[in-house]
Amino acid sequence: MCETCGCTITPGNAHMHGDQNAGHGAVINVLQDLLAANDQVAVHNREHFDEHGVLAINLMSSPGAGKTALLEATIVALRDRYRIAVIEGDLETDNDAARIRAHGVPAIQITTGTACHLDAHLVHRALHDLPLAGLDLLFIENVGNLVCPASFDLGQHRNVTLLSVTEGDDKPAKYPVIFRASDLVVLSKADLLDVLEDFDPARAAAALRALGRDTPMIRTAARRTPAMGPWLDWLEQELAAWRPAVWTPRSQIGAAVGV
Amino acid sequence: MLPVHELSVCQALLTQVAEIAAGRGARVVERITIEVGPLSGVEPVLLASAFAIVRAGGCAAEAALSIESTTVTIGCMACGAHSNPKPNRLVCAVCGGFRTRVVAGDELRLRRVELRMPESRSGPAA
Repeated sequence: MCETCGCTITPGNAHMHGDQNAGHGAVINVLQDLLAANDQVAVHNREHFDEHGVLAINLMSSPGAGKTALLEATIVALRDRYRIAVIEGDLETDNDAARIRAHGVPAIQITTGTACHLDAHLVHRALHDLPLAGLDLLFIENVGNLVCPASFDLGQHRNVTLLSVTEGDDKPAKYPVIFRASDLVVLSKADLLDVLEDFDPARAAAALRALGRDTPMIRTAARRTPAMGPWLDWLEQELAAWRPAVWTPRSQIGAAVGV
Repeated sequence: MLPVHELSVCQALLTQVAEIAAGRGARVVERITIEVGPLSGVEPVLLASAFAIVRAGGCAAEAALSIESTTVTIGCMACGAHSNPKPNRLVCAVCGGFRTRVVAGDELRLRRVELRMPESRSGPAA
């Protein structure tokens, strides 16, 4: 019998299944995902988040697309209404965590050394240093990389990938795995579109649409001329849609909560 | 260049293989067969290089690695048809629909392990 399930056993190949002994050999049919161990820890992380009513968002992009800048502007806009924390992932330095903490919000830095992505185990360890019971929103800023982070479930509820207008507008076609795994794509540094001739947002949107998930794409500008409306709206919609199912905030106990 | 990503995937692979071998009282793994899809985020060639590094010193030190590549298959959420598109154009080939499910092609799976059983054993493995 297969180790996990017998779903690929058909009348045509049934004779090949089951442990076979040829002389002193044994053939074991398995069908187990290689990342099963990571996925188990991810499920555990998600249970922690759900238990404490925390919406966890995995933020991904290539290096320099503006993840930390976006988080800084988000914190400034939302910190009076929601309790936010950040887990930062980088190969080296705690520069990004320090930037977040400067805005009065807890930030845990994971330095991976050589690992090109965060995994559920690293996030699990970081959770022990976070006051989950007192949080509404947790951002996990992944290592800057458009390849590896897509494969590793961290226990998050939503994947958001940034595509900056200083990158190519064909990125979704070049990196289909991460863009297809995303619940939202953020076109960052959008204030620079005026001075960049090569980036066509319509081409980027078409490449994204061709990945078959109808993923929304919104624009942000976090620095010179901030434009954060659609991003903040999306965040608040996600919070509102998700929280009533799991947890009622203290301030709303006794009041009607719309679903 | 060291395939760092594939190294960690191979470590996970060898942990699973070692558990299976130990569970059957085998100390030598002869062949490992895995399925890797174009949408798995892992490159088979790099996985093979990483495997050669990671298998050293364990029960799979002499094991061969077979990689079976799968084909991207999508199911259309509009018309239900299945098609086999390119990994970055997951659009229904029948109706042109832009909302599809990935049915196959994102696998990263251990398919089969072939063990050398100790000579004192006879009969089927437990």
